[in-house]
Amino acid sequence: MKTIVRLLAVLLVGVAMGLVYGWLIRPVHYVDTAPGNLRSDYRTDYVLMVAQSYASSQDLQSAQVRLASLGPQAAADLVTQALTYAVDHEFSRYDLDTLNMLAIALREAAPTAEIQSP
Amino acid sequence: MKGALLLLAALGLGIAAGLYYAWGVNPVSYTDTSPASLRDDFRADYLTLIASAYDATGDIQRARARVALFAYADPGPVLAALAQQRLAQGWPEGEARALARLAADLQGVSASTLGTQATTPPPAGSPAPTRTVTPIPSPAPTRTPTSTPGAPFRLLEREPVCDDAFGRPLLQVIVVDAADQPVPGSEVRVVWDTGQDHFFTGLKPDLGVGYGDFEMSPGVTYTVQLVDSDQPVTGLTPGECTAADGTHYPGSWRLRFQQPER
Repeated sequence: MKTIVRLLAVLLVGVAMGLVYGWLIRPVHYVDTAPGNLRSDYRTDYVLMVAQSYASSQDLQSAQVRLASLGPQAAADLVTQALTYAVDHEFSRYDLDTLNMLAIALREAAPTAEIQSP
Repeated sequence: MKGALLLLAALGLGIAAGLYYAWGVNPVSYTDTSPASLRDDFRADYLTLIASAYDATGDIQRARARVALFAYADPGPVLAALAQQRLAQGWPEGEARALARLAADLQGVSASTLGTQATTPPPAGSPAPTRTVTPIPSPAPTRTPTSTPGAPFRLLEREPVCDDAFGRPLLQVIVVDAADQPVPGSEVRVVWDTGQDHFFTGLKPDLGVGYGDFEMSPGVTYTVQLVDSDQPVTGLTPGECTAADGTHYPGSWRLRFQQPER
């Protein structure tokens, strides 16, 4: 009985060592992530960059393609989320206007631009 | 002695179990990643987006801070090489120019490695500009440019589809990566005898972020090529399908591309 307890104790120590090594010392290192996994501040900045680029080019399709990298949500929703984050974190008025302009353009656009047949 | 071996075995078993749990079952979450961890193609897109935003706003401080997320010792040559790469791959020239501009501005020089750089016309009456040798940031030797890391996407399935619910013949393209995950933003070129067009996956997220389609015309034969693939798919003509009521309608095609393992 005493041996079993000692074995179990050592086993648990081993598990703990494995967890410490696997989580803290050498955790899984992700190197090939997608924009959809970005932290919310980076996501917001990504959307802001798309909006800034759109403000200059007025190329809504390009903006939609870029936003599609962030995940399956509707592009307008992604921009709305970014706007909410930007408001909460007191982005400048200029940034908010830029985001808002893209949000409006996406809302006004048809559900999805159809590629015309030849 | 036997007891010590048993303890050692138990310890080893425990470590193995712990590592299995930490690496396999419940690894560190990667939902809050930084741009530096992006896959090479997404990283290139991100850098291009930084350049486009800079091109639109002229805010060099912000662009510098954004590029700094990638921790390049000298981002200028990286951006310049990316500009050349994307130009060679047929991406919009404006993007390449924006990258070249950012590369130059981050280095504090006005030179560009792009031969197609837009220049401000000299004021009238000024002497004609003489060609001078300007310091050009020479990009470090790089691998042969590829549009995405890893092997080019390969055609996995080519399947005629009869579905009168579509209402029109469609060229449906589904793009997945090596892990079978849908890939949004993949450019697909469509060429037929009198024209060509392109579209991207991910514009109809309700049908899947790796999905894109193109409306075909009956009687027209199309060739399709994923930009990230070296394998054109030829001879795609809407076939003839028969509806339940016996009427005929033009059919669609479904192509599925996948990136092989590296």
